[in-house]
Amino acid sequence: MGRILDQKALAEVRNLLGDEPRTRDFLLEHLHKIQDTFHHISNSHILALSAEMNLPMAEVYETATFYHHFDVIKEGEMSPPSLTVRVCDSLTCEMFGAHELIEQLKSGNNADIRIQPVACVGRCQGAPVAVVGKNAVEQADQAKIMSAVSSKQTEAELPPDYLGFEEYKKNGGYKLLVDCINGKHKREDIIQTLLDANLRGLGGAGFPAGKKWSIMREQEKPRLVAINIDEGEPGTFKDRYYLERDPHRFIEGTLIAHWAIEAEGVYLYLRDEYAGCQKLLEQELALLKENPPCELPPLFLRRGAGAYICGEESAMIESIEGKRGMPRLRPPFVAQVGLFGRPTLEQNMETMHWVREIIEKGPDWFASHGRHDRKGLRSFSVSGRVQKPGVHLAPAGITMRELIDEYCGGMLPGHEFYGYFPGGASGGILPASLGDIPLDFDTLQPYGCFIGSAAIVVLSDKDSARTMALNAMRFFEDESCGQCTPCRVGTAKAVNLMEQKDWDMPLLEELARAMEDASICGLGQAAPNPLRCAIKYFPEEFE
Amino acid sequence: MAANPETMNEKITRFSLNGKQIEAIGDETILKAAERNGIEIPRLCYKEGYRPDGNCRVCMVEIDGERALAPSCCRKPTEDMKVNSDNERTVHSQKMVLELLLSDMPQQGKSPYTLNSELDFWANRYGIYDPRFRERKQPTPDLSHAAIAVNLDACIQCNRCVRACREEQVNDVIGYAFRGKHSEIVFDMGEPMGESTCVACGECVQACPTGALMPARNVGLVEPDKKVESVCPYCGVGCLLTYNVKDNHILYVDGRDGPSNHSRLCVKGRYSID
Repeated sequence: MGRILDQKALAEVRNLLGDEPRTRDFLLEHLHKIQDTFHHISNSHILALSAEMNLPMAEVYETATFYHHFDVIKEGEMSPPSLTVRVCDSLTCEMFGAHELIEQLKSGNNADIRIQPVACVGRCQGAPVAVVGKNAVEQADQAKIMSAVSSKQTEAELPPDYLGFEEYKKNGGYKLLVDCINGKHKREDIIQTLLDANLRGLGGAGFPAGKKWSIMREQEKPRLVAINIDEGEPGTFKDRYYLERDPHRFIEGTLIAHWAIEAEGVYLYLRDEYAGCQKLLEQELALLKENPPCELPPLFLRRGAGAYICGEESAMIESIEGKRGMPRLRPPFVAQVGLFGRPTLEQNMETMHWVREIIEKGPDWFASHGRHDRKGLRSFSVSGRVQKPGVHLAPAGITMRELIDEYCGGMLPGHEFYGYFPGGASGGILPASLGDIPLDFDTLQPYGCFIGSAAIVVLSDKDSARTMALNAMRFFEDESCGQCTPCRVGTAKAVNLMEQKDWDMPLLEELARAMEDASICGLGQAAPNPLRCAIKYFPEEFE
Repeated sequence: MAANPETMNEKITRFSLNGKQIEAIGDETILKAAERNGIEIPRLCYKEGYRPDGNCRVCMVEIDGERALAPSCCRKPTEDMKVNSDNERTVHSQKMVLELLLSDMPQQGKSPYTLNSELDFWANRYGIYDPRFRERKQPTPDLSHAAIAVNLDACIQCNRCVRACREEQVNDVIGYAFRGKHSEIVFDMGEPMGESTCVACGECVQACPTGALMPARNVGLVEPDKKVESVCPYCGVGCLLTYNVKDNHILYVDGRDGPSNHSRLCVKGRYSID
């Protein structure tokens, strides 16, 4: 049995792939080409691609079906309409009416467009957000969306105001990198500077960057660098914010890291939702490569395909290798056995963004910021019921109330501060009565929360922690990779229980405990945080 | 143990398990060392001889100094490590995982497709009979294959069949597709098994712990009255096998561990005799 290779499909695939490599790590890139061209991926194209790449069709199929942005269609199945409107229904967007918007759009008799509720697209300051094709529409309503549809504004645009390659160089950019490479700085000194500045990994885990770099120097060569720009935690948009304004700053930081750990290649993994950033990075990397300030290592930009889990460091590596984004078991750690089996320095993009400034201004500059005994700066992505949502660079250790009053222009009129997510969907929910605790790594654990990527969603008396906890659990259910039982089955059962009028709290707690203890990665381990916080801090919502 | 010539040159790691000092020989995992020392740890996705995958999370143990629990099928002990597999915390997770899996079995109970479900065995061992969670939406049976019945309503997604097909037999027919609760075992590109490129080696059937993949026509539900150890009569490889016999008729065939086949069989040895 089996299938006959369709020669037309094979010719189409060959044409799309051109002379690009057929190695496994290009699988996602090649699937993107098919999806972009045909607006879906048919089984005949999967078969052709598996023949062309010399991969089993089961492996191509299982990989393609893992990612939300690939529409895999069997023979005889209807292909989706060529235009998809994705409407975010994660935390902030739900608060600002995403569900009503989705209902309106679905009842709007639009057979030629597909309305798809999706997880956070990283524009929470403009909630509710819709993405028409690849064109992001903020403060979206039906009229705005339909006008983008009818005027065929479906492509992502370059960010309006960014510091390009030449401008960046004029402002002293890449001088530090060149100095490093020319021996004006010692590797140990640079690492010591980061340690003294207490620069921590800003993707969420907060591991000290300098320590990571020195661990990397003890690993066998060849080593690699992988930069995580798969910012997907609901409420987080800081990486996009910096990327859209100053893209070369993190690239320089990355190249300095590459030099400091004596690596042999750099991979940048960008989430597919950031199509404008993709354009920008392609353009700016090309300019950099055309006119390099010094010898550059191999530098690859890889595109995600709609999967929150690929922000987990080992899942990101699997994805770059062209596989399903399923987290690996540790040990071994990514620093020991990472991308393509090599020791890999993986860092969040924003962490790299700060490297140049810290080295130029000295470690004391960065560490001199901070409040309530905390040190450093944090980029808070703030959304929800505040006057000025957006990315606010503020001292580490600032409290929620201080952040709202000093940076966010206070609460929206008619809204009273009620509670907040301090670290996206996975960081838990705190009540207004705990609005005076310092926000930083390590400070929120006693409360069953963590700051993670510093994604703050501010709730008011018009919101419900219980509703938001359910929103978060549905998100984890949708985004679980499906590998381990506590997360795959646990999130689904938790959603069942949380949809009931009365929550079975003892059973939910039993489940939460096993998910936290026995899940493979942080997704399943942290998924119960919002539900536990809702029960603990907002008991009146369950009366 | 030290006198065993096969192991005398292997490195020995001393660690404690449930308060008892034990030794791991060579590259043994915690689970293997425990087993050799008579300490039972539940397991489902683990299968002797296969690459351990650590996905079912039944064999979780607590390691002193670590925040989360660890899968004992994958973790190797280090010198002086303190491990616990039977305290309140570990047993809570082990039981919860079993309960979650049992809640998604047909009628939330025993596997209707095999008499030897490993999930039923462990659920019974821990006294888990009435799962408190709602059953998932169940997939429909796939009886398209002449020799193998596919009932994914009994599937626990332990991925042993994927490893059987991909890593043991290198047939690359079975995959694990989609994501999260939609994840599912597929053949090729989601075909019915009988229309896939399956060569009917039956390795996946032998690997499946819950009867989601079984010999066709429910022969797995018949208790054989004897098991006859033999050698495959076809080619010259000499694969060892076991005939499961009832009323002097062969019901079905299992691969047996021999030097040339390590429990694997091909379509002839597996399905041309019964």
